[in-house]
Amino acid sequence: MSEVTEEIMVVNALGMHARPAAALVQTTLRFESDVHIHFRGNTVNGKSIMGLLTLGAARGSRLSITCTGPDAEEAMSAVRQMFASGFGED
Amino acid sequence: MDLTKLKVKRKQFIPVSRMLEHMTQDLDFELLAGFQGVERPVFSWDVNRPGLALSGYLDYFANDRVQVLGNTEIHFMERMRPAELANRLNNMFSFEIPAFVLSRNLMPQTMLLDMCNRYGVPVLRSTMSTDEVISRIILYLTQEFSPETVLHGTAVDVYGVGCLVVGKPGIGKSETALELVERGHRLVADDMVELKRRRADYLYAQTNRTVKHCMEIRGLGIIDVRALYGVGRVRNFKRIGLVAELEEWDDKAAYDRTGLQEHYVDIIGVRIPYMRIPVRPGRNVAIIIEVAALNQRLKEMGVHTARDLNEDIMRNNRGQAG
Repeated sequence: MSEVTEEIMVVNALGMHARPAAALVQTTLRFESDVHIHFRGNTVNGKSIMGLLTLGAARGSRLSITCTGPDAEEAMSAVRQMFASGFGED
Repeated sequence: MDLTKLKVKRKQFIPVSRMLEHMTQDLDFELLAGFQGVERPVFSWDVNRPGLALSGYLDYFANDRVQVLGNTEIHFMERMRPAELANRLNNMFSFEIPAFVLSRNLMPQTMLLDMCNRYGVPVLRSTMSTDEVISRIILYLTQEFSPETVLHGTAVDVYGVGCLVVGKPGIGKSETALELVERGHRLVADDMVELKRRRADYLYAQTNRTVKHCMEIRGLGIIDVRALYGVGRVRNFKRIGLVAELEEWDDKAAYDRTGLQEHYVDIIGVRIPYMRIPVRPGRNVAIIIEVAALNQRLKEMGVHTARDLNEDIMRNNRGQAG
């Protein structure tokens, strides 16, 4: 059981909208660890599409992401990669 | 289940007798002559008005269609000299003609009737106006010639949207249909759904004449939905607006989570909105299909929730982008 927290920046132009949210959830669901995203005083579950949409995370937003569980490191690495790639968007 | 590889049936021709049987009531048909030719085949859904053929021009004569004779043709023939008419008709009869149809209760020349008797070409007469006769014949023939198929599944009219539920045996199609009926919707067909294309882009499900609205529920046996729930919970015919494929829940499969993308399936050439619905104990499939039908109606009315919400979010994000 481990916990990792990282600050990750949103780089795609359109920010966190439905398509990236669905893609992110598809990834986080593969891991046993819990994933939580903190932004502007709110915390949402990284396995909930509707939760991710409520963030209002535009490009340039810095999100604090916490993964907790046996595969926390792997989950964080996957999440980091997705954000860095801009979810395949510009 | 591969819905694109269904065995499609399409009639190559229909005998005039079948048209008579089906349309006599509709068009008030009366068979005037050429009785022995009622098994003649009709090859096309279209009709022809043989004015040009009667005037002697036989190139491109659409002889394989039903020939409709209205006021124009009958009066044109009346003005011809008998020898000339005989000559023209003989030329026409050198082609295979399925049938003549007269409108407005018109009485043709005896010569035409005699020839039809001799060649065995049926002459049908209707009391209706020519345009009515033509449009009803075309409508009828189009339906007869339209492709059809049969598939395992169940068809239910849910809030006015014809839903075709498909999936492997035992997945719960009949139970889902039963629950939809319980919730006030209407069963079209269960297990064997007859599907028919109408026009180029409409797919209709229809009730099988033999089993009607009976269904088999495992553990119960055969039940009659019409007898149990009343005539208001069944219908014989419904245009399909949604195809839902039930499948066992697969943890590894990526199910549609946003509804942003439209999925379609092609069934005998008609494109129908399509969704995969994972089934697992405790998940009420009937409610999901009910909501899918409502959402489909909403989309047709121009409200696309997933897209609209996402556009709002993207607009907001764009405004705040750093």
